[in-house]
Order: sequence, then C-alpha cells, then structure tokens
Amino acid sequence: MSLTLFHQHVLEDHLSGFEAKANPNHLAAIRRPAIFSVLAHRGHEVFVKSGLASIEGVQVRDCAPGEWLVVSTGLGAVVMENTLAEIAGASVIDQSDGRALLRIHGPNVRRILAKCVAVDLHPDGFAVGTSTNMLCCHVAVNLARSGGDTFEIVVPRSFCGSVFEEIMEMGREFALTAAFADS
Amino acid sequence: MASLITCPHCGTRPKEEFSIRGTALGRPHPAVSEEDWHRYVYLRDNPKGRYQEYWHHAAGCRRWLVVDRDNVTHDVFGVTDAATFGRVGE
Amino acid sequence: MTSYRLGNAGSVNRGQPLTFTFDGKNYKGFEGDTLASGLLANDQMLMGRSFKYHRPRGPVTAGSSEPNALMTIGTGARSEPNVRATVAELYNGLTAVSQNRWPSLTFDVGAVNGLLSPMLGAGFYYKTFMWPAALWEKLYEPVIRRAAGLGKLAMQADPDRYEKSWAHCDLLVIGSGPTGLMAALAAGRAGARVILVDEGFRLGGSLLSESASIGGVSPADFAAAMIEELEALPNVTLMPRTTVFGWYDDMVFGAVERVQKHVGTPSPDLPMERLWRIAAKRAILATGSEERPLVFGGNDKPGVMTASAVRTYANRYGVAAGGKIAVFTNGGSGYRTAADLVAAGVDVTAIIDARAQSADAVPDNVRVIRNGAVVSTKGRKRLEALIAERSGFQEQIACDALAMAGGWSPIVHLMCQRGAKPVWSDEAQAFLAPDVGAAFIAAGSAAGQDRISACLKDGATKAVALARELGFAAYEMNIPEVEGEYDPAFAPIWYVPGARDKAFVDFQNDVAVSDLGLAQREGFRHIEHTKRYTTAGMATDQGKLGNVATIGIVAGMRGVSPAAIGTTTFRPFYTPVSFGALAGTSRSEHAAPVRTSPLHDWAKKNGATFVEAGLWHRSAWFPREGEKGWRDSVDREVKNVRRNAGLCDVSTLGKIEIFGKGAAEFLNRIYCNNFLKLPVGKARYGLMLREDGMIFDDGTTSRLSETHYVMTTTTAYAAEVMSHLEFASQTFWPELDVRFVSSTDQWAQMSLAGPKARAIISRVVEDDISDAAFPYLAAKPVTLRGGLKARLFRISFSGELAFELAVPAGYGEAVADALMEAGKDEGICAYGVEALNVLRIEKGFITHNEIDGRTTPDDLGYGRMLAMQKADFIGKRQSSRFGLTAADRMQLVGLKPVEVDKEFMAGAHLLKEGATPSMANDQGWVSSVCHSPTLGHVIGLAMLKSGRERYGEKIVVWDGLRGKEVAAAVCPPVFADPDNRKLQE
Repeated sequence: MSLTLFHQHVLEDHLSGFEAKANPNHLAAIRRPAIFSVLAHRGHEVFVKSGLASIEGVQVRDCAPGEWLVVSTGLGAVVMENTLAEIAGASVIDQSDGRALLRIHGPNVRRILAKCVAVDLHPDGFAVGTSTNMLCCHVAVNLARSGGDTFEIVVPRSFCGSVFEEIMEMGREFALTAAFADS
Repeated sequence: MASLITCPHCGTRPKEEFSIRGTALGRPHPAVSEEDWHRYVYLRDNPKGRYQEYWHHAAGCRRWLVVDRDNVTHDVFGVTDAATFGRVGE
Repeated sequence: MTSYRLGNAGSVNRGQPLTFTFDGKNYKGFEGDTLASGLLANDQMLMGRSFKYHRPRGPVTAGSSEPNALMTIGTGARSEPNVRATVAELYNGLTAVSQNRWPSLTFDVGAVNGLLSPMLGAGFYYKTFMWPAALWEKLYEPVIRRAAGLGKLAMQADPDRYEKSWAHCDLLVIGSGPTGLMAALAAGRAGARVILVDEGFRLGGSLLSESASIGGVSPADFAAAMIEELEALPNVTLMPRTTVFGWYDDMVFGAVERVQKHVGTPSPDLPMERLWRIAAKRAILATGSEERPLVFGGNDKPGVMTASAVRTYANRYGVAAGGKIAVFTNGGSGYRTAADLVAAGVDVTAIIDARAQSADAVPDNVRVIRNGAVVSTKGRKRLEALIAERSGFQEQIACDALAMAGGWSPIVHLMCQRGAKPVWSDEAQAFLAPDVGAAFIAAGSAAGQDRISACLKDGATKAVALARELGFAAYEMNIPEVEGEYDPAFAPIWYVPGARDKAFVDFQNDVAVSDLGLAQREGFRHIEHTKRYTTAGMATDQGKLGNVATIGIVAGMRGVSPAAIGTTTFRPFYTPVSFGALAGTSRSEHAAPVRTSPLHDWAKKNGATFVEAGLWHRSAWFPREGEKGWRDSVDREVKNVRRNAGLCDVSTLGKIEIFGKGAAEFLNRIYCNNFLKLPVGKARYGLMLREDGMIFDDGTTSRLSETHYVMTTTTAYAAEVMSHLEFASQTFWPELDVRFVSSTDQWAQMSLAGPKARAIISRVVEDDISDAAFPYLAAKPVTLRGGLKARLFRISFSGELAFELAVPAGYGEAVADALMEAGKDEGICAYGVEALNVLRIEKGFITHNEIDGRTTPDDLGYGRMLAMQKADFIGKRQSSRFGLTAADRMQLVGLKPVEVDKEFMAGAHLLKEGATPSMANDQGWVSSVCHSPTLGHVIGLAMLKSGRERYGEKIVVWDGLRGKEVAAAVCPPVFADPDNRKLQE
C-alpha cells in the first residue's frame, strides 16, 4: 500500500472563500516555504553566519545570538537541508511545517503592525533587511522588513490562525485583504 | 500599562516579552556546604532599591538576562546576558 | 425658550446645523458645539443633579474637569453613562438623558436629601450604618447606592470594536494650546518625530477661547495656521480627541483616542476607541492650567461657572452663559471675561473683585465692587440673583449667570503619577510640577507661565532644547508679537466666610467647607484622611476643580501653608477610560490567543468535543450516536484501546530538539536519572527535579544521533521546561556545548495504542517495526509508505502496546486519516484526553495532578531513579536533606471503594476510620480519580502518609466540600497490567 498524502496549510480554513483581488494593503500566506532553524555551536557563530550569508535564494532571519531562521520560497526543503548541512559547526532542523510565513504589504502596513507589535518599525530603526523575534498579537514570532512597505512574519503554526485573524482585524480600517501566494 | 526593557540582543521591548525569575544568584558548586546550598535554594534578601534580577527574554532571543534596576523607581542601570554574569562558589 | 447664541461669534460651523435631544426634547446646535454649549445656547442651564443631595446643577466648566454636567449619551447597548456634556462633541441625532434624578430632572424626589443635608455631613454613612454588620450587604448598601448614584450601565454587550496600538516618537507634546503648538512646530521643523496629542476635538486648546491678537491675527486663526504647517510635516502626527491619561515606566504614556464617539452611525471597520501606548524619548507637558472656582455660599447654583468657561462659551461657541452675567473675581481673568462679554453684546451687571485694588482694565459702563465678595445666591433651578457684601453691607444683584475667577492651578497630574509630588509655590500660589528628570518637562501654563506670549516662548525654547539633545538641528523660533493679552495674576481667597448656604469645594460629591471643618475636628487631619472621610476629590472628576481649594481651606483651618498640607496621591487615569478601550480586541473568544493542533480539523471531522488546556484546544472525547453523555464515550474509547486500538492526538506535548557534543552531559545534569548511556535509537523516561528536590516535570527523551536528542515534555509544562533548559544552559553551565530549539509546532504526533497497534501502523510505515526490530522504547526516524519522513517512538502512556508517530504537521490530518483507514478492520477508534487520562490512571502513570510541586521521586514510587552517584544534577543536594527522606512522607497509592457502587472525587482528604476530620488527623489526599471501565468501578490515585506500607488498609475518603464520606481500600497504584507484559508484546 502506497500512501498519497495531502499537505494542508494551517490557514486553509481561514482563507477559503476569500476574494482573490488584492487591495493595496494585502497579506499573503506563502503556501510551501522552506523554513529551517540553524543553531551555531559555541565558537562557530561568526563562521556559521557568514556561511548562511553566502547561500543564494534564501533569507536569513536573526532570532538570537547564534540562532537563525533560514527562509526560502524558491528552494525546496530537501535542497535547503542539504545546503545547510554543509555548514560546519551548525545544527539544522526543518521547521517548514512548524512555522507559517505571512507577508504583509501596503501603504498602511506600519499603522496595521503598530496594533500588533510593540517594536518601533520606523525605517530609521528598523531598516529593510532587519529581522528579529518579537511578540505579535501576544505570540512570539519573527518579524522582518523585506521592503519599504513589506514585512514578513514567521508564526508558529499552532498560533497562526489566531495571529492571522487578529492581523486581519487590525487591518479592517485599511481594507486589508488576504490570499495564498506561492512565493 | 507598560514598561520597557532594553535587551542587549534585541533592543527595547515591552515587559510582556519577558518573564522574571527573581534575584540573580549564581548556582553554587555541587560540593559546597549544606548551608550554602540552603541559602541558595531558600533565602532571598528581597531588598528595596537597587536589585539584580534574572529576566528571560521569552518572546525574543530567549536569552536569560540580568537586569540591574531599582525596584522602587524602576530606573534600569544595565541589562547584560546572564552567561557573562558572575557565579558563586567558584 | 430664549436663544443665547451670539451673533456671529465663535468658531462653530453655522452652515452645519445639528439636531439632538435632551431628556426627550429636541434642540438645535451647530457642528463644532459640545453638548453643553448646544444646551446653553438653548437656555438649558440645568444639566444634572448632584450625587448626594440631588441639588440642581449646571455646568461649571467648558472642559474635561467638569463635575456636574454628567449625562447618559446614546441608546440601547450603546448608551454610555457619566459622559461630561462639556466635552461631548455634538453630532446629528445625539440623544442625551440626565442622571441621578427621579422622576425627572426638574422634579426630583431625592432632592429631599438636600433638606436633610444638615444631618448628612461628612462621615454620616460611616456613623449611621455601622451595625448590625449583617445589614450592610442586604439593606444599607443597596439603598444608599440607589439613592446616591451616577448613570446606569446598559446591561447589554457593547456592540463596538476597540483597538490598541503602539506609537513611538522623539517628542510627545501633550496639549495643543499656545505652548504645545509652538513646541510641536519647533521640534517638527527640526525633523524630530513628534506626536501632538490633545483631548479636544479641535486642536488649539485655550487659543480657541481667548481674545487677543497673535502676530496680527486672532488666537484661533493663529492656531489654524500652526496646525496647517504641522499637518504638512510628515514627521509630525496630530492626534485630536486623544487624552493622555497616564505616564508609566520608561517614558511610556497611555492615551485613549475617541475615534467614533462623535459619529451618529459608527463604521464597523473602525474602532469606537483606540488605546495608545506611546513610547516617547522626550515629552513636554503642555496641558495648561485649570481655573479654580471660588468657594462661597450657594456657589453650586446652575449658572455659576468659572470665568474661563464663560469666556470659552462666548468666544469659541458663540454662546452667552446668560442674559445678565455677573463676575466674581480675584484676578485678571474676571475682567477679561467681562470685556469679552461686553464686546459680544452681553449685559454684565457687575464685577465683584475680592481685592481692594487692581490695574485690570474695566470695560465701559461696567460697575466694579472692590473689596467685595459674593456671600449667597438666589434661585432654584437657575441663578436669579446674588448677594454681594462689601464692608458689612449686603446688596442683591440680579443675574442669571455668574463667572467666578479663583486663580489658576497648573495641570500637572501626569507628572505626579509615578510618585513625585507637586510642589507648592508661594509666589504662584499654586502647586507646580515636580522635577521628574530631563526627559519629561512641563512648559507654558502647566509650568506656571501665565501669559500667552510667555507660553509661546516657553514651548518653543524647551522643544528646541530637547530636539538638540536628541541630535536634531533645531533652530530658535520667531515668537510672534502678542497684543491685547491680559494679566492673569490673582490674589487667592480660599473661601468666603460666613456663608449661610453650603459653600461647596467638591461639586460632584457635595463636599462643603463645613464637611472639611468636621473632618478636622473629628481627627481626620491628614489630607488623605480628610479626603476619604469627606469624599472630597473622590468623584469621577477626581477633584480637578476642588482639590486645591480643599487643601487651601484645610491649611487655613490649621493655620499653616498649603505646602504643609500637601496633596493626595495622583494616579492614572487622568479622566475615565472605558473598559472597552482597555480590553481592546481581547474579549470573549479573543480573550487570549488560541492554539490549535495540526490534528484539530481531523478531530473535528471525527466529531470531537474540545477542551481548553492552557491556550490549546484539545480533543476531549469523540461522542457517537446513542451515547448519552461523555462517560459513555470515554468508557467506550478506553475499552476499545484495551481491546483493539485507538488513535489519540498528542501533538500538544512539548518537543525540544537538543543538539551538541555536550548534550548527553547536559541531560544527565537536567534529569535525576542517568542519561549518559542512552543508546542512539532509544527513548528513556526521565524525571526533572527542581533545585529543592521536588519533581518539576517528566517525559521521555530520545537519542536520534550521537549529538541530537528530542525531548518531550508535558503539554502544560512545555514552555516552562524550555525556559528551564535555557536557564541551566545559559547560567549554570555555559561551557557545555548544547543548543535547543522547540519543534513542538513542526510535528503532528499521534499515539496509536492497543494490542492491534503494530498491525495497523505497519500498514502505513515502511520500516520493520516487529518487536525484534523495534522493541519497547525504540525511537527512530522512519519512512511512511509513499516516502514521507517521520519519527516513530515505541512509548506508552496507557500501558498498552503503543507507538507515537510524528509526521510533519501539514501531513498530520492525511496521516491520521490513513491510520484510521488502515485500522478500520481492526476496530480502531479516535480517543481523546479524557480516555487518555483514564488509561493512565488505570496504569498508575503520573501527571501534574501528582507532580504538584510537593512530591519527590520516591513519594511517587520512582525513588530508584534518583542517581545519587552522579556528580551533579539539578535537585541532587536537596534530595538528601532531612524531611525529603522521612518515613512518614505522603506516598502514591491506589484507592478502590469498598463498595464498588460508591464514588469519590479528586481533592478529597483521607482519614483513618473513626477519626474526626482535622488537620492533625489528615492522612493525605486524593490526586486523580476516574471511573475505570476496565474494572467497572471508580479508582483513584492518592498521596497517603507512609502509603506503601498500608496496602490493604481500609480508609475514609472524606470530601468536606461535597459533604461525602466513602470507605476505600488502599492498594498499589497500578490497576492494569502491573507486570508490564503488554508493553513488551
């Protein structure tokens, strides 16, 4: 007996029936990102960090000293795992199913996120490329600025429905829409 | 409503991101006297004023920090990573 | 009905008329009116009844300190009590009703309290309703509450949305009067991020109410020009309708924005109110100052209001407070009010000046009575005349409004909310802002500056200094020329002696000078005692108008300076904040974030009933048709697991990936049992202790490679264990090479338990899972048929042959479906946490019911796990101390009822037969109870003194809460398969 198993996104129920047309303020839930935790062992922090920086097609998100989330919407989990395995002094674990990737974009994105996070997201202090762990809608997430008006949030899967609903509620005043996206 | 702690790794964050464990004490060496262990496990000074406490940045970097602050005025004098904080009995 | 609307004065929008109702009657106002100005324009001076004596009251102010004009606005679920009409923005269709009166505002039965007022002085309730104590709750309190009250709450759920938001800035400017506007512009031009907040619905503060010429234009036009420039600056945020109500640690300010309070039909996409937490690097308090009422007999008649309020109604709203207005003053404010009224064509009957002389300009044809005082007022529902006294001679002066100017108090509340007390100044005759450091400073009138020109300069200068401190290139501002401003200096009089009628210091709570005297005589002399005994300053306005007079009068009675009396404690909130705003979105089902398992939908489609476990929603049981209650379902699930097989969602267990060369040593120190020699591919049950020797948590840890382990924790302690590991690694043993990360959310984990578990799971897993290849406690990566990588553990929490299969969360539902399909012929069922609990009690496995912070490994029968030969582990040193090894400690036992149809419950205590229930006779307690479908009766786990020596003893299970006693037999705590034969199958 061979099994054909259907993979389910955690927001499947939350997003079904949504209008496909995106408003200027829009949240995209990425369907199958590859997300890995990378932990540098003692003394290898700098080496691992530079190793990660040299990988193409991935975003490296800062979590803590010597700890990162490596995110890719292009590379599959298998390719990513093999690539990361080559970095000496690091431990790597697949979190692709344990984390959801939300991308929120639009002219009012900072106004919306100010209702979700306590951190000042002004570009002077939180420039494009910055990422860090923080509380978002009462849940510890990793938040990154990927563009002037674009932020990406990596949310633990079990909390994702809750966080998603809360962000959408906070976006109501700016007509925030949401849909799945492949990348 | 709020207070803010500046994590040495993550920057300024609201207190909701942290949990507090109390006095920043180093764990005694396993072989020190019964009395030292008793003091470590059970006795706390509970001072009014300047105080060093363990704070865990649970919703951020998940590092344990030592927050040096005045527990009356909440003036914070410094926040350091606990791994670099001194240890007792060594 | 007379119209008191003045020609073309004021800045209300006369092109936009509005209709509204008050106590069922229709009125007309204009856009830009407050409810109070709209009512005054329609000759409706009577706006409320006082709290205690039900005296008729009109507005005293035109702002947020209003004590009297409290109303209920809105209808149905949206009705909101105790709204100050003086700040409520008028909108079309607004419905307001008066409060604290019955049957009507003009005829109020409760006003009889007023006649009894000689008896109802300070402390009356304390003295009268002291005993019998039993009557307090049943009789006195309900009656008093009904008689003395504010508005009533709508007893319906609030239909509106509320939000919370953070804001961050370099400079927060609180107040948008002359000081605040200049400060905001100075810092804004320099490029600083500025937030300018004002409680009013129009920015401009006192500039909207004053008459003068600033840079050649009116104050209101000057404000408009400033605001226009501020609006154009992208780094400046203007927040009208927003009250900063609190100053908190680390320069965080709390503010509430009334987003839609002024809208007849609120938008469902906007919140009604928004709570702001504003983190500011620097802040300027530009809140201005409050004009003090004067304290004289009958000073609470409707029509008596502060001079600045009269001026605001005239200059800003184009409304005359009356047809014939008198002025009672101790400074320049009274003269300016008279001048503004005369200019607007209002009849000013007299200025009564408490001072012997002054240089203030007297408007033409207005009579001034110097060295005079108002000693009494006439009229019932509205002022009709006042009695002025000068050199012992009294004179009645007809008037329907009286403007009283009693001097100024800087509004410094926010600066005093973190412990600092305001400082009395003899020069200013006022309490001034304390020094609270360089980050938060007062400016302008709040800092004791009394003229517009001084405020403009102070705001600009201080903002420039702060901006430079933050590294911005700020330039000095040009201060515009101010012409025609008046001198607000005053000579304080705390009260006019010899009043026959009550002279009020606190209008809302009906506290009069006589009450303050009584409090002093009866020993309540400390100002905090005086406050509580008389209730002065304890109403919803928190004494914004009256507290200074209270202190001044008490100081006078005691013959000391107000500095010696001091102030009472200032606390947030500056003005009342709704619970809705404080709760934000965290209400009903959104009160806390919800955690769902990757098998949530699978459980749902299998009919699960869910239970909240922390933030998790877990499947509790799976009812089937014909089952009458949860017990039926649970009994069936348990029996089926023991007979066939069951599938339970255990994804909520904490899972921690542990890496590193030091991981083995680390685990060996974390657990009390040995972990150094755990082979790769095996799981081991472990107990973690606290440093005091008590068990902290239990679970299994599996070794997946030499340097990679995965630890499972209980659902409840997942976060605590993670923090514990991090604490130990980072602070105890930072030299050990070990790293962790939680993978709880990565895996959908299923427990498949029962004699047929292997047969079922082998249809899904490719690997050989025979007992030889995959023995008890095996733990390995496996591949599912079709290629999916998974983890399989042979561990059991039921005593049955069992496996836990972990698959990537996104595949959880599909794999659970596949297992259910694969086990259909074997009779597989889904089971929930209730059945899981029954299975574990039958097997004598422990949970946090037993690991309750008071139990050691030995107490629970795991004493042999304590590896005391290890050099160190957490809890080792305290484990051997006296008391933790005592023979009479509570030990885990099983309990069975002597008569099998008898039941007992967890929480009950244990007594020897015949013993009376007492602490001394207490033998222990029942920790876990269930009905065992396997045995057909109730079973329990209990902690019993020296329990393991007492198997076979009959004991009483005493349930004092439920008044029940059941005889039970003490037995070993394992009811099912005590020899573990099933686990090894």
